[in-house]
Amino acid sequence: MFKIRRNASIAIAFFVFVFAIGTFVGPYNQGQIAVALTLFIGVLSINILTGLSGQLSLGQGALMAVGGYGCALMMINAHLSMWLAIPLSLIASALVGLLLGLVAAKLSGPYLAGTTLVLALAMPTVANKFDSILGGDTGLSIDTGMPPTWLSKVMGDIAIEQWNLYVSLPFAALALFFAANLFTSQSSRRWRAVRDHESAAALVGINVERTKISVFVISSAFAGVAGALYGLRGLVGPSVFAISLSLSLLTGSILGGLRSIAGAGLGSVIIVFLPDWIGKVIHPFSLSDQVTNYLPAFVSGLLLVLTVVVNPSGLAALFAKIFRFSRVKR
Amino acid sequence: MKFKPMTAVAILAVGALSFTAIPAQAADPGVTDTEITLGMQLPQTGAASPGYNKVDDAMRAYFDYVNSKGGVYGRKITLVAKDDKYSAGLTISTASSLINESNVFAMVGSVGTQTHSAVIKDLNRRGIPDLFVNSGNSAFYTNPSKYPTTFAGLGTYVVEAKILGKYIKATYPDKKVGILYQSDDFGKNAIQGFTTAGLVFTPGKTAAGFIAGTQGSLGITSQLKQLQDAGVQVVIIASVASTTAIAALTAKALNYTPDKWVVMSVGSDATTFQTILYTKKIMPAQSAAMLAGIVSASHAPSPGEATDEYVAAFKKINDQFNTGTDKTWDNNVLQGMNIAYQTVEALMGTGKNLTRKALINWMNTKGSTLTSAALAPVGFSSKTHEAYTGFWIGEYDATAVLKPVGASRVVYTTDSAAGPVTISTFKRPAISADALPKAA
Repeated sequence: MFKIRRNASIAIAFFVFVFAIGTFVGPYNQGQIAVALTLFIGVLSINILTGLSGQLSLGQGALMAVGGYGCALMMINAHLSMWLAIPLSLIASALVGLLLGLVAAKLSGPYLAGTTLVLALAMPTVANKFDSILGGDTGLSIDTGMPPTWLSKVMGDIAIEQWNLYVSLPFAALALFFAANLFTSQSSRRWRAVRDHESAAALVGINVERTKISVFVISSAFAGVAGALYGLRGLVGPSVFAISLSLSLLTGSILGGLRSIAGAGLGSVIIVFLPDWIGKVIHPFSLSDQVTNYLPAFVSGLLLVLTVVVNPSGLAALFAKIFRFSRVKR
Repeated sequence: MKFKPMTAVAILAVGALSFTAIPAQAADPGVTDTEITLGMQLPQTGAASPGYNKVDDAMRAYFDYVNSKGGVYGRKITLVAKDDKYSAGLTISTASSLINESNVFAMVGSVGTQTHSAVIKDLNRRGIPDLFVNSGNSAFYTNPSKYPTTFAGLGTYVVEAKILGKYIKATYPDKKVGILYQSDDFGKNAIQGFTTAGLVFTPGKTAAGFIAGTQGSLGITSQLKQLQDAGVQVVIIASVASTTAIAALTAKALNYTPDKWVVMSVGSDATTFQTILYTKKIMPAQSAAMLAGIVSASHAPSPGEATDEYVAAFKKINDQFNTGTDKTWDNNVLQGMNIAYQTVEALMGTGKNLTRKALINWMNTKGSTLTSAALAPVGFSSKTHEAYTGFWIGEYDATAVLKPVGASRVVYTTDSAAGPVTISTFKRPAISADALPKAA
């Protein structure tokens, strides 16, 4: 009970902190923070799946797409409010996660990675196959709409990006709350046991297959919410949930730290803001478009290699070490 | 002191709320007494970038030329282009950056159907002029009440396909006609136009689709094999230039020699075709021979028509002012120059008191008077935001120049609905000596 209360306090403090930052920055950065919050939930889905249970997914973007399409179809066809469609979209992605989990329970390592990658690659074909429902290559147009008038009356003019931030923030805070509880739960201990040694876990009575399936379902639910929010930026379609999105989520997860919630936060901030930071650094040098356009991908690739070689636990673990070291020194 | 999280939360929340009041802006962003800032998004890198990544440099070259002559009513034009890698997720972020960081007054010449679908609604609800979009998707333009600020930079795919379809039906009445198309709105619009013109395609036999952007990675062998097996003698390509290049190579490998290739204008740029084939170790002379005989359409003169007054003027400006990495004169550069020319014309027409509303109003009421290198008129009005309503049909010669079929050039015109294809009577106005448009 204490842990739940503590985690709730952390989630509320996170909500207020991000809300406060959101009021200080301009609309562009508000939009970027909204994307970072959305991808935070997506990276969390990887950290739960890979960091806690050791199952590698290269197709998390496809699970996000399930949530995105689910949300879009509910909003367009059933005229549901996005506040209802977003949480409901997690059911759609959890169901797909269940099917994937049934397969994943039989696979491991590169075979599982390959299977999830195929899922991501097949997404455009599926969208085209069910063109009349999913909108084919072009996709389905949805967005968060205009901010409600009561909110504008309370807060003054609200930019569209600011409104996107306010829509993403409660879901990110809720995801943080649930993830914090998950990371400290008894279930997570079982998941870690499966991650560290499947045979040993089975010997102490853990049902490995069921454990893997349940992690996939939960991870997919997180991805589904992230996908719904990502689609609500304007479009749900194959070019929005491209394979590069899956790889970006994995990059964020590794850079920030696979095995922690803080790692998911740091990772999502890095993948969203890195191109802007690089742009600011190289701006005075007047480099050609050919250089500036490829530099963010090059730098994130370099950081990825450095992280894997030098600091495999990611930035969050590094900061924690530094913090502990400074306290010991004092 | 005992920690009370809810108290801290309440204090932070009140503090945050006090910072939320944003002062209202008095004037439209992106316009000062000395400058007009315009934005554009396009694939500068990635699989879809070849050819299109030259459009922004061409536009900037023309704007720099105008700036060297004093700008528009004393205001210099600055073009900020952002690379969206033809990824819609990124297009949303680049649009936000252009709007909120670069403070653009208007968007001009943005490239791509899929990518523009992701931002068109947002641009319109913000009231940002979204001029001369490089997409022929009729859904963007035929209902101005839905997208009041968006205006086309190309003729619609439906119009072009109707005109090409009528030509194919008349010229090859006994041949079996098939289509290789990308399965997005481009391909769908093209099929709509060709079927309106009376052509019939059978999915799985004479109609072979593929997912846009996969032509390079997955190839189009199975699609061309399908058309070959179906005995298709006239192959229509409704896709981008990289598809045309890959189709030519794949057909050669399959030993498939259709009687005629008919390529929609977006996919028939000679330079892009030859550049892509050059990366596959096919020399220019050989690729020019592969291009020879391909039928295509255009709303503007061919870039190879050196005696055309617009081509000559724009080519000269390109030589002097284009600072891009590749300023080779081609269709993409001509299109960029043309869009920049029309942009300047619209800004001049709107007048000294430049506002977003005034510009949109001018486009709705006077936009149809816009002139350019195009040999067909633009259709802008309050009822439609379609651009070029006509195309002429040509065939590539051995020097990779599109030459009119028949004895002389005939420009055909039609609409994006079921209207007939007729011969256009439009006479293009002459370009002024200084290559600057004059206010209408």
